[in-house]
Amino acid sequence: MDQRHIRNFSIIAHIDHGKSTLADRLIETTGALTSREMAPQVLDSMDLERERGITIKAQAVRLFYQHHGETYELNLIDTPGHVDFTYEVSRALQACEGALLVVDAAQGVEAQTLANLYLALEHDLTVLPVINKIDLPSADPDRVMEELIEIGLDGTEALPVSAKQGIGIDQVLSDIVEKVPPPTGDSSGPLRALIFDSRFDSYKGVLVYIRVVDGSLAIGDRIRFMATQKEFEVTEIGVFGPHPMPVDRLETGEVGFFAAQIKTVQDTRVGDTVTGADRPAKSALPGYRPAQPMVYSGLYPVDSADYGRLREALEKLQLNDAALTFEPETSAALGFGFRAGFLGLLHMEVIQERLEREYDLTLITTAPNVVYQVTLVNGEAVRVDNPALMPPAGDILTIEEPVVEASIITPSDYIGAVMELAQERRGTYLNLSYLDNVRAMLTYRLPLGEIMYDFFDQLKSRTRGYASLDYQLAGMQASDLVRMDILLNGEVVDALSTIVHRDRAYNKGRALAEKLRELIPRQLFEVPIQAAIGARVIARETVKAMRKDVLAKCYGGDITRKRKLLEKQKEGKRRMKSVGNVEIPQEAFMAILRVDEQ
Amino acid sequence: MTEWGLYVHIPFCQARCTYCDFNTVTGMGEAEHRRYTDALIREWAGEMLPSGPLVSIFFGGGTPSLIDPHLLGRVIDRVDARVGGISAAVEVTVETNPGTVTPEKLAILKEVGVNRLSIGAQARQNHHLLSLNRIHDVSAIDETVAMARDVGFRNINLDAIYGLPGQTLIEWQETVEGLLRLAPQHLSLYALMVEAGTPLKQQLDRGQAVLPQEDAVADMADWAETRLGAAGLLPYEISNYAIPGLESRHNRLYWQLEPYLALGAGAHAYVSPRRWWNVRGVRRYMELIEGGADPGDGEEELTLAEEMREYAWLGLRQRRGIDRAAFRARFAIDPVVAFGSLVESLGGQGLLEWNESRLWLTARGRDVASVTARALVDAPIEGLPAPSVPNS
Repeated sequence: MDQRHIRNFSIIAHIDHGKSTLADRLIETTGALTSREMAPQVLDSMDLERERGITIKAQAVRLFYQHHGETYELNLIDTPGHVDFTYEVSRALQACEGALLVVDAAQGVEAQTLANLYLALEHDLTVLPVINKIDLPSADPDRVMEELIEIGLDGTEALPVSAKQGIGIDQVLSDIVEKVPPPTGDSSGPLRALIFDSRFDSYKGVLVYIRVVDGSLAIGDRIRFMATQKEFEVTEIGVFGPHPMPVDRLETGEVGFFAAQIKTVQDTRVGDTVTGADRPAKSALPGYRPAQPMVYSGLYPVDSADYGRLREALEKLQLNDAALTFEPETSAALGFGFRAGFLGLLHMEVIQERLEREYDLTLITTAPNVVYQVTLVNGEAVRVDNPALMPPAGDILTIEEPVVEASIITPSDYIGAVMELAQERRGTYLNLSYLDNVRAMLTYRLPLGEIMYDFFDQLKSRTRGYASLDYQLAGMQASDLVRMDILLNGEVVDALSTIVHRDRAYNKGRALAEKLRELIPRQLFEVPIQAAIGARVIARETVKAMRKDVLAKCYGGDITRKRKLLEKQKEGKRRMKSVGNVEIPQEAFMAILRVDEQ
Repeated sequence: MTEWGLYVHIPFCQARCTYCDFNTVTGMGEAEHRRYTDALIREWAGEMLPSGPLVSIFFGGGTPSLIDPHLLGRVIDRVDARVGGISAAVEVTVETNPGTVTPEKLAILKEVGVNRLSIGAQARQNHHLLSLNRIHDVSAIDETVAMARDVGFRNINLDAIYGLPGQTLIEWQETVEGLLRLAPQHLSLYALMVEAGTPLKQQLDRGQAVLPQEDAVADMADWAETRLGAAGLLPYEISNYAIPGLESRHNRLYWQLEPYLALGAGAHAYVSPRRWWNVRGVRRYMELIEGGADPGDGEEELTLAEEMREYAWLGLRQRRGIDRAAFRARFAIDPVVAFGSLVESLGGQGLLEWNESRLWLTARGRDVASVTARALVDAPIEGLPAPSVPNS
């Protein structure tokens, strides 16, 4: 297809504003799938994604659309819908010339709407606003139009649509053709193609999703990844319609995938440039950066015999997930395990769930932490991804922690509540502006570590569910942080150490000690729980000794059954980790996430 | 010559208590009682008897006192006939529920050879008896004991439960004091066990009933032990108290891993090294017996190591613990050797003590007897002449 007849676009939206439904409708209307073949939300192909209603892996679908008697090739590139994957979103947008910005007609502009809009504008995309769900009784398209104008778009041009009812879909398609510019690559130049996603297929090896920017790609070509310098021979090229279909080649401006007997996605980094090995491009496409884990946690098998299986499972997951990192780690409390790095908390939860569900592992996961940049008194710089490995306070000159710039959109009635929450989380106020006369946008700089766990839940509960949140990493910031240790029965349990702000250490320590007292079952002897900073104990609780542990009845008819009961109780105890003499249940290692400090 | 016992299961009940998960049936009448007794007698006729003397017969339930006492008498007669006479020294116990007996019934029980009654009192507050779905009130407990004394029963056990939903220490003290006034020879005080599938479990799961706190239940147990000691009733097992010399012989059979035969639906028997049990269904049991078939439902054969473990954790339920000479006589190894490292470590934790002749749990060890039992259920056996060959 010549470039004039190609349009590459994405759909961007706040969560639940109807992105996937609109994509389904576009696919259906252009006849790529019969409605019988349409499972709801065909683009979300992992079970877990569908269960969680989150798009994790981007995909691309090629649609054919007739407009004024000519056939156009529309490539719809789907983007992940979670803040953990902002980098992946930006690469997907880089592969496009235009974006549909979908806004819910009842909800209006939300934090993610804005974050996505700014990403799109950064990449010079033509943004077509779409007001979705106009069939809802609570729809207020006029208000949404005004909000769009407020954020700098031509709201009057916004298309009123109901993806669910199929209203306005044709207009969306013809606007894509008329308003989104065609690609303008150099078709005779050396190949440059942008990788915006890749996934591992056990038969074909890695499938690399690309947008050809210059030149073209054909089966049999020898290609090179410019960042990793790895070379492969292309064995297969295809496009999604949305079912995969083989093609011979991809021309300038086109979107598709290729396979080349690649064993791991570690070789095919999102954002990297594919070029020809025989006629390489001089420079790579801009914007590539290696995936950088932001959140770390320890993964330990409950049964130490599963260590090997855990490593194999992580290796397999890594084949399909370049952002996942892991290194062996030893904990005095938990034995042998791994310190794994994730893009964010959602990414972490998805990986943990897959390890337990798909690989049948029972894991103890330590509380997640961010990564700290530590400068020692002797001038040495250390990167600390495990609180237990934080150097002694006396050796430390400064500790820096990652911060984010967070945008929170809230009804103006709740501005006070949101500010209070941001203050509690050590936020720095940056800006306040009004979207209209009832909604405001607050901008704060916040430590990533403070918003990692329950910030969003708190935000929702304090604004009766109305506020929305989006954030972007905004570098590192020096803070007065200290390591807080937990001692059980006088022994430090390394897996329970956390990094906290000095001013809040006392409250956190007390809350954590209390929580642990609730979570740790009574033992044969009294177990003191202490929270300490260095040698100074800041909180103390006690798990009282167990008073009674007996089987009241055991007679002749019962002996076999009681023996089995004892064996079962014993099995239950094996699922706990014994540290020193203290048996600690799995959930205690996540206790820090569940403390309510007052 | 090994002493042995006989357990006879009478599954019939007038109503089912909320906490009960025993093998019981309600709604069966006299005809079924008769038919069931016939089956018991027929099963007895086919039993292989151990070589030693019979020392105990125990009618358990269900509610053995619910049925016509002559039926129990018939069973006793057949046992008597086959063992060549039941001596007066044989303990013959019937579990009895208040509200199911009359002076006449009790007199007949006495006459047919029953010499011990185990009466289920459970609590001395009508609201607790009602919520447990017991069929009697507090006054029926007193009446039953009085009637039993009148007809000449001199060996009476009373059962009670602590840790009931909503129960207070004061109520428990009232229960124990009330039972002591009845001057029983034996008391069984059980911490409530919540069993799967019982109405009680459902009530708790739905929040319709709430158990007392762990510490409150422990206080009840500790208070009762002290109080009973003052009354001359000494604990000889975790839940059982008796005037010295009147401990239940039948209970001892179980905790000392001595042989016992068992008749009736769901009944479990043990003659080393086999343990076996009958089908639970009452009708099914009767049909099998009537058809001349084996009512057995399952069995296990214990290895020597398994018997040693059971002997140890069951034996340690008793206040006097394990007799080392008896253990050696049976297993040709001393228990302190067989469980060497475990005995060391439990001793080190203050749970276990021993001397030349015995091995027993300390006061702390008895409080947490399951800690020792869990350690023993799969303990390695040390110091055997030849290592046992694992099945492959």
